[in-house]
Amino acid sequence: MQPSPTKHHPGKAEKQEARTAKLLLIPAFMGLIFLTYLPLIAVFGISLFQWRVPGTPSFAGFDNYRFLFTEDFFFWTSIRVTLLYGFLSVAAGLVYSMIIALLLNRPIPGRAAFRTIFYMPFIIPAVATFLSWSLLYDGGGIINNIVVMFGGQRTHFLSNEQTIIPALAMVAVWTSGNLIVIKMAGLGNVPRTYLEAAEIDGANAWQRFWKITLPCMTPIIFYNMLMSLVTNMQIFVPSLLMAAGGGAGAGTVPESYLFMTFTMYRTGFINGLIGRASAISFIFFILVGIFTAILFITSKSWLFYEGGDPK
Amino acid sequence: MNQKSAFTTLRLIIITILAALVLFPIWWIIRSSLMTGPEVGTMALFPSRWLFSNYAEAMVHFDYFLYLRNTLIIAVPAVIFGTSTAVMSGYAFARLRFRGKKFLFGLCIASMLLPPMVTLIPLYIVWTQYFGLINTFWPLILPWMCGGGAFNIFLIRQFILTIPKELDEAAMIDGAGRIRILVQIIVPSIKPAIMVVAIFIFLTVWNDILHQTVYLLDDNLATMALGLRIFRGSYGTVWQLAMAATVLSIIPGILVYIFGQKYLIEGVVMSGMKN
Repeated sequence: MQPSPTKHHPGKAEKQEARTAKLLLIPAFMGLIFLTYLPLIAVFGISLFQWRVPGTPSFAGFDNYRFLFTEDFFFWTSIRVTLLYGFLSVAAGLVYSMIIALLLNRPIPGRAAFRTIFYMPFIIPAVATFLSWSLLYDGGGIINNIVVMFGGQRTHFLSNEQTIIPALAMVAVWTSGNLIVIKMAGLGNVPRTYLEAAEIDGANAWQRFWKITLPCMTPIIFYNMLMSLVTNMQIFVPSLLMAAGGGAGAGTVPESYLFMTFTMYRTGFINGLIGRASAISFIFFILVGIFTAILFITSKSWLFYEGGDPK
Repeated sequence: MNQKSAFTTLRLIIITILAALVLFPIWWIIRSSLMTGPEVGTMALFPSRWLFSNYAEAMVHFDYFLYLRNTLIIAVPAVIFGTSTAVMSGYAFARLRFRGKKFLFGLCIASMLLPPMVTLIPLYIVWTQYFGLINTFWPLILPWMCGGGAFNIFLIRQFILTIPKELDEAAMIDGAGRIRILVQIIVPSIKPAIMVVAIFIFLTVWNDILHQTVYLLDDNLATMALGLRIFRGSYGTVWQLAMAATVLSIIPGILVYIFGQKYLIEGVVMSGMKN
């Protein structure tokens, strides 16, 4: 849809158009410079300093990084639980939203009402969501009561290291109603002619899904996987609330709650180690960058664009 | 044909069960908020007596109207400024030609992948050390004056691209300037998109506990999300009161959802279609 670049010299009208554009883009430009890219450079700069507030920073090279990777046992835990939760929640959310979207794809009574219901958890704020699920997961809560009813053992889902991350991923799945709406739209855009042609050729529903529907959905799946991964890896609320519950003290949270955003917050804002917290932020940025790169590189082999090459 | 209708019935049964499961936690919060403490831990689906007094009791600790006021002090300007600057930027990216457009738009899109937690510390230092804005709402409002977030700019741009260009061109011939076209033609035709962005910004502010935690240390400035922290999520929680407060905190979001639902779904659809 982009107008093709023309070679003639810019006329008065075009100059004015460019001027208007610049005027309109001043706020966004300021945001990109001062709230996004400069702070990104700055966080790397600060991470090279030893800086405990209130005090003065002193240059330390990569000492913060060395400390985090070689001396801070909990930092590896932090990376591990963040990645584990990120992958688990994104994968589960993907499967869940795909199944619901497929079920709602064909004409079904009350389709719009179902869509509204499945979307609803998405608008509940994270703190409220976590509090609500804490009640469900509670030692004497409904989920445990059901487990016991079927002869199982009571578990403290949110304080047992084995169950914390799956339990939190479950909550993430519950809130991923927006993915369902997006996937429903994507399914609606799969060309009917392909599906009909395949049906005539004798492909069954399963084959049609794997050979046509899924490939046509890959661009949407790709984009949403990327965005959910960035969002989910920033999980913070459960850690903050669990830490508050265990007293202001820092070491009392189960290891599985040491997500990177929380570790950064605790290091920088509770313990006042600004330089080291910045190093954690920057490592987080690099991790996100690596996954983005992996997704982009591998996408060439599994991403399908209708009508030819990806743009 | 008969097999097909059997299949539809089966799908309807499965989807109804799943929908009930999704709604269940929401009902459980409401039901628990109206019970006595011991009753919360039972399997009862309904309270034996509907204790609306729990809400009054919760509000003794949970200063609902203070939190509501504080959250709105951030959310209202955020929605107004964020939406208007997103519309300005989205329009420029969708319709106007200028040098460096592709590059700037690329920077904008790439910033969607930059998590807010990464830039938190430098911004915190600037807001608090250089501008002395700790314990004020400014660090939470001012960023919304800068484009309203890459995601929302992108959304507006996508909507504008679906509007036929002929409308602009006809107005151009009638002598309207670019700004007038934006205000008189584009804005009225992307009303749903504007609603969506407004709702997204509202929900983002409602949810933004990370920034609120670091900038608002004074209890009198606590927002809804911060206020809920007193109920924590672990042992010794007075569940019926915690759930009453939770229900109260959800209500404004639900109202916004009901009010803008039609647009919201449309917007989510657009947002998922990267093109």
